[in-house]
Amino acid sequence: MTQGLRGRARQAWTIAKTDLRRAFLAKRSLWVYALALLPSLIFFGHGLEAKWRAERLTRRGVITAAQLDSPRDGETIDAIKARLGKPAYENSGTRVRRVRQHGGTPGTTTHVIEPAVDARIVRMNVSRPTYSGEPVARIYELEVYGPDGRVNLALDKPATGSEPCSPEQGPDKAVNGSVTDRWCAEGWPLFLQVDLGAVHPVSRFVVKHASAGGESEESDTREFSIQLSADGKIFKTVASSTGAGFVEERTEYRYLTYFDGRREAHLTFADGKLHGRSMDNLLNFEEDRMIFAGIFQYFYLRLAIFFGSLGIFMYLFRGEMSNRTLHYWFLAPARREVLLVGKYAAGLIASAAIFGGGALIMFGALVWPHDAVDVQAYWNAGGMAHAFWYATAAALGCVGYGSVFLAVGLYVRNPIIPAAVLLLWEGANGILPHALQRMSILYYLQSLCPVPAPMDNDAPALVRLLAVPAVPASRPGAILGLLLLTAVVLWIASLAVRRMQISYGTEA
Amino acid sequence: MSATAVVFEDVSKFYGEVLGVNRVTLNIPPGITSLVGPNGSGKTTLMNLMSGLLFPDHGRILVRGVSPRDPETLMRMMGYATQYDTAPRWATGFTFITTGLLLFGYGRSEAEARAWKALERVSLTEAATRKVAAYSKGMRQRVRLAQAIAHDPDVIVLDEPLNGLDPLVRAETIDLFRAWAAEGKHVILSSHVLQEVDVISDQVVLIANGMIVAEGKIRKVRDEIQEHPSQYIIRCRDANASGVAALLFGEDHVTEIKLNADRMGLLVMTKDREQFARALGQIALDGHRIESVVPADENVDALYEYLIGGES
Repeated sequence: MTQGLRGRARQAWTIAKTDLRRAFLAKRSLWVYALALLPSLIFFGHGLEAKWRAERLTRRGVITAAQLDSPRDGETIDAIKARLGKPAYENSGTRVRRVRQHGGTPGTTTHVIEPAVDARIVRMNVSRPTYSGEPVARIYELEVYGPDGRVNLALDKPATGSEPCSPEQGPDKAVNGSVTDRWCAEGWPLFLQVDLGAVHPVSRFVVKHASAGGESEESDTREFSIQLSADGKIFKTVASSTGAGFVEERTEYRYLTYFDGRREAHLTFADGKLHGRSMDNLLNFEEDRMIFAGIFQYFYLRLAIFFGSLGIFMYLFRGEMSNRTLHYWFLAPARREVLLVGKYAAGLIASAAIFGGGALIMFGALVWPHDAVDVQAYWNAGGMAHAFWYATAAALGCVGYGSVFLAVGLYVRNPIIPAAVLLLWEGANGILPHALQRMSILYYLQSLCPVPAPMDNDAPALVRLLAVPAVPASRPGAILGLLLLTAVVLWIASLAVRRMQISYGTEA
Repeated sequence: MSATAVVFEDVSKFYGEVLGVNRVTLNIPPGITSLVGPNGSGKTTLMNLMSGLLFPDHGRILVRGVSPRDPETLMRMMGYATQYDTAPRWATGFTFITTGLLLFGYGRSEAEARAWKALERVSLTEAATRKVAAYSKGMRQRVRLAQAIAHDPDVIVLDEPLNGLDPLVRAETIDLFRAWAAEGKHVILSSHVLQEVDVISDQVVLIANGMIVAEGKIRKVRDEIQEHPSQYIIRCRDANASGVAALLFGEDHVTEIKLNADRMGLLVMTKDREQFARALGQIALDGHRIESVVPADENVDALYEYLIGGES
């Protein structure tokens, strides 16, 4: 008295209906629901936050889009306020910066002595050789002028000084009339001395520091003094300089925020003039869709559906084993394969409903806060198809992972190790040879996703390697491949269920 | 053999460290058959084997010509009430049985009618709509019985069906067994108390340590156990075993004596344990120094003590 295919299908359906309760309502399913709904919550929260901000900005005044775009760099704050009205937010602040004082020719300082002093020896003492703190003095040229101011009295005169950094950077290089070479010294005390050959009236010095020779400003001499002597014995300090010192530069900043209903313009004024503008969309649909694609592939497919399927399918048999109720099914006039199909169907209906539904809710939460015009444009550009493929990928994920965990549950008691191995296998999918990629569920699911998952260029190399998507298959090919893989896995599961014996005694 | 018997042909089953059954050959005709043996002797294993919950490592089983590996056919004619005291958490007595019946291909109304009838047979209609998990032990026992018979099977296998039943229900249940046997069905029960089943059984199978000890009509089994010779090893304190042997040879019930080479021990085979014990007591009183008496054939002896115990 065997029965036909229809009878077996009815049996499988009866089993499925009975087991649906377990799949949907088991305490274990609670975290399955949490996994399925978590991304929806994130998107919903994001939308809610944007709506709330829009609401607050709107209450403070909305301007037109043209007005929002109108400010130009350099406009005064008063002019903009007069044109756009009261801003939604206004803040102010001061920025103080210490900056080097500049003046005249870069890297060159001039020191005037009134009245002129008669001298034969000119000596320059360097007490702080650089701004950077490097203890090396660099002077490209030291010029000495008399009251007529035309002739450089120091030019090509004998010069001495602290020990040079190298023989070719001696003191003579500071008096040779060229800024292509320099005197460089690091031996303490740092000084440079020129003998003018005879006593002259001296009224002006010009010192060319590091930046005059093309070096960094940081290497300019910071503190030095100039002494004169008629006889080389008695020196008189006639000039001292802190080089180009520091001054505090204060800038008054004002920040205005205007809102046109969709965009926020942040205007920055420096000293009353428009200095910078940034425009933010309160909600960026494009960006949100990329985030959706990322969350869907990296969290939903790889983790949520993976572990959700584990929770549902692994325990279809294992759960009845530990409850000691599995024998009731084995004592029914049904083939073991029919039992397998029935239980798989129950798990599949439950998981596909939970995760397919979860994907649709997530999609709804993504679209919900956005502007009707944007959404309409998205619908016209195939948004509905996106929603369909996301839900389909989620449901097919349950088909694939469900079969795998059903089989694993029949062969292994503890899910942790096989789950870890599978997770690695699926994660490494992108770097496997092509033939092996076809053995992973993720390969097919990725091919079904309507938008490729985004990948930041600054992600760590290992993450990029592991997350890189495999070369996608075509959609019909992917569905067919996934179903074939599932059929093979279910066949392996049927081998186990046919051999299965009841031995509750050894079950914990 | 015949397509109307439950046949075990040289069946062995070992699993893990738990004892299974060893080289069992049985031919169970229709009627009430009781599998009797101590706990852990292999009764449940035999039942699980004939219902396909376990598969034999060796040998062949046929239930009225059908292999237990074909549940689709087998379970239409077999009902098995296991000893596993469990039921799905969601089920009431009624839905539990109805769900099972739907798998037979009955329509819902017929399944419900049959479920109700089965519950009536085990007097459980009042509790039918309550969760099985909330039943008392006896009620769960009966709901499992109802589940096993709801599809009107020809081979009814019941593991310890009388355990935990109050006397009234027990009498009713036994009446049911008799009625089914009269219809030509197989009613295969198990029990670890021989007195419980010997009056109702057409046939008894005695099992110990996974082996069939005796099999047949109840009277025959009784005699077989009674006449089964027992062996004892006797150790004496001095090398005087031959003296003890000489005295024991005088007894009718002693069939064989073997002397050990050290002349301190002897192996005695007797047909009657009690007469042997009396004779040995007398010998000791007469001044023979006996150190120990140990049964050499634990299995059968223990079984005998266990099953028949204080009866004779």
